[in-house]
This record gives sequence, structure tokens and C-alpha cells, in this order.
Amino acid sequence: MSTVPTSTVKDGLYESPTSVVPPPPPPPRAPSGPFSPLVNIYDRLAQWKQSLDLPSPGTVENLQKEVKTTHLTNFAFDGARADLAKTLSGNPLFQVTHSFSLGSQTAPSSYNFGAIFANQNTTMQGGVDHDGGVNARFNQSWSQNNVTKVQAQFSSQAGHNMVQLEQDYQGRDFSLNAKAINPWPTDLTGIYLGSYLQSVTQNLALGFETLCQRPSPDISEYTTSYLAKWTSNEKNWIATAHMQPGGIVQASYWQKLGEKVEVAADLHLIATPTRRDAIATLGAKYDLRLSTFRAQLDSTGKVSAFLEQRFTPAFAFLLSGEIDHFKNAAKVGVGVMIESSTLTPEEMGLPPQQL
Amino acid sequence: MPSEDTKEKIGKVIEVGRTVLHYAWIPFIIYVGFTRSNPQPSLIKLISPLA
Repeated sequence: MSTVPTSTVKDGLYESPTSVVPPPPPPPRAPSGPFSPLVNIYDRLAQWKQSLDLPSPGTVENLQKEVKTTHLTNFAFDGARADLAKTLSGNPLFQVTHSFSLGSQTAPSSYNFGAIFANQNTTMQGGVDHDGGVNARFNQSWSQNNVTKVQAQFSSQAGHNMVQLEQDYQGRDFSLNAKAINPWPTDLTGIYLGSYLQSVTQNLALGFETLCQRPSPDISEYTTSYLAKWTSNEKNWIATAHMQPGGIVQASYWQKLGEKVEVAADLHLIATPTRRDAIATLGAKYDLRLSTFRAQLDSTGKVSAFLEQRFTPAFAFLLSGEIDHFKNAAKVGVGVMIESSTLTPEEMGLPPQQL
Repeated sequence: MPSEDTKEKIGKVIEVGRTVLHYAWIPFIIYVGFTRSNPQPSLIKLISPLA
């Protein structure tokens, strides 16, 4: 929204000789009264910042997004899985999903029903398990760069409930985020998180994240961690670092090698007086025409691979495997993803896929 | 600082709100989605995984 006036100002500055640079435009309100010097300084700072034309740094939450989508840690599963998604309306989006998972070594068999409704500004998502647990998500964008998010988990067991309130603001060259997890309004206990990421140069963004834990009204513990992100000029590689107090460092590197290949490396270092540990993970992702293949190797001796093969746009077959060479263990997962729609071909623009 | 009485009331309101959301959130999404969908789907297609 604000990019249009910026670029014109910048163009004007470049085209005209420095001697005839127009004076800063007067603020909308007449610069009189006790605050006029402050208003002037603010305007000058804002103009100077605009003239730097720094890129948006992305959010703190998505600092390592590229690495996470390249690695298969978030995608791997074991046992059998089936996801049936049914789109009932395209705009606004209304979709229901039925997910089944069976025979996993780590988690019991489960069934989950989910519903998503989304229009331009609001996204509502809900899921219910076979044992009655509900998770809820609600996102409301107030403008292009101001979003409120609410996440909650409701369980029939006491003590398993969770609510997270989040406010996200994305400026031209910075992003701000505030989170409250399980806040209790009368005594303000809970976990609070604030983070700020600012572009410093065209390539470098620096930021911090502060965590405040208040388990009871008279205890509050603060911990601050620092973040850095370096994006190359062509945006084809990104390096990030996340330093937490107590000697925990997480560093990552992601590079796009070509149209179809991305590689990522991730290093987790823990160097506390009682424990010294490090895990390195190396992964690659291939985006082929109808399939996505991910392979990963880490320093704990795990080799894993994940294949997502789309036979038609509505039918995908998933294969996930992991071998732990040090522990001599293996996991295999097989899954299907079926998407169907009740919309007619004219409404969707492609042939309907019925089960 | 609110009194103990008010605190207790706020706690009760939150507890009721939590229970309401627990049972009503998914029906609420389905209701909103069902009424705002364009075109409106039939109910059986909504519930059954196979229809």
C-alpha cells in the first residue's frame, strides 16, 4: 500500500539534481504547537528510512521456513495414513477433511475430522479427534499487514487446554509479533513472547525474541534470544542464526540450486556446563512435475526419505521411510491423500474427482 | 485491583466460554461454511466421507 508513494519519492530524488531536492512535504497537520519539533523529526526519520528502501525481513516465526519445507522432519510419519479432503466451495473456501492414521509405532490410531472456512480476511479452522479433543484456529487480518491470530486446544481431560493469542504486525522493513500463551486475566500469569525483526541492510536482518514466563503472580522470568538472517542478493540462499541464552545456538543454511532442487543444512548446538551436544542435519528436496522427493541425513545416524507422488491432481500417494543406523531401527509410512469436490466442472475449471 | 469476588466471576465466565467453544466451534464453522458457500452444498455430502 505504502510502496507506491515511496517509489515515486525515490524516483524524484534520483532524477532531480541534489540542489533542487524538494523540501520534505509538510505534515498533514500544521506544524505548530508544542509537538511540532517531534513531528518534524519523526517525518525526517521516516523519509530517511524510506530512502534506504530496505526489504521486508519476513517474520520471526518463518525465520527458518525455507529450511523446514526442504527438510522432511515435519512431513515424516509412520504407519498408514489416509486424508480425504472435500472442497464444498471455492470462494469463500469451505473444506472438510477426514484423516485416519493407523499402526504407528509412536502414536495410537486416530481419526480426525476437520473443517476450514476462509474468506478474504478471516480464516477459521477446527478439528476434532475421536476422543473428543478439539483444536481451533482463528485468524483475522485487519489490514494487509496487521493480523490477529487465536489458537486453542480443548480437551476433556483437565490441564490439557491451551489458548494462544497472537498479534502480528508487518512493517515495510520490520516485523513485530506479540504472543500470549494461556494468559489468565485476573493475575496475569502465563507465558508471553515478543519478537522484533528489522532489516539492517539489503541482505541482513537482525532481531530478538523475549520470553516472559509467569507461572505465578510473584515470579516472572525473562529470557531473550537473538536472531540474524542473511539473504543473498538473488534471494537464492539464506543463512540464519538463532542464539538462545545458556549456550544454545541454531544455525541454518538454505540454497536453491536450480528450478527443481533445494538443499538445506541445519546445525543445533547445545553447550551448557552440564551438557554438550550437537546435531547436524542435511537435506535436499526435488520438485518434479508430479512428485516431490525429500531426502535427509543427520548426525544421529538417521537416513530418511519422503516421496509425495501425485497421480492426478486429486490423488496423491505418500511414502515415508527412516532408518536409524545407530539404534538399528526403521520406520515406514504409507499414505494416500484424496481430494474431492462437490463443485461441477464449470464451477471449478477442471473435471470433478469423485471417489 | 479487582476484588476476590470479581476474580471468581471472571474465572467462571472463562470456564463457561471454554466449554461453549469446545462443543460449538466445529458446528459453528460448518454452519458458517454451509450458509456462506457458493453454491450451497447438500447436507449428506458435507458429513459423509464417501459421498
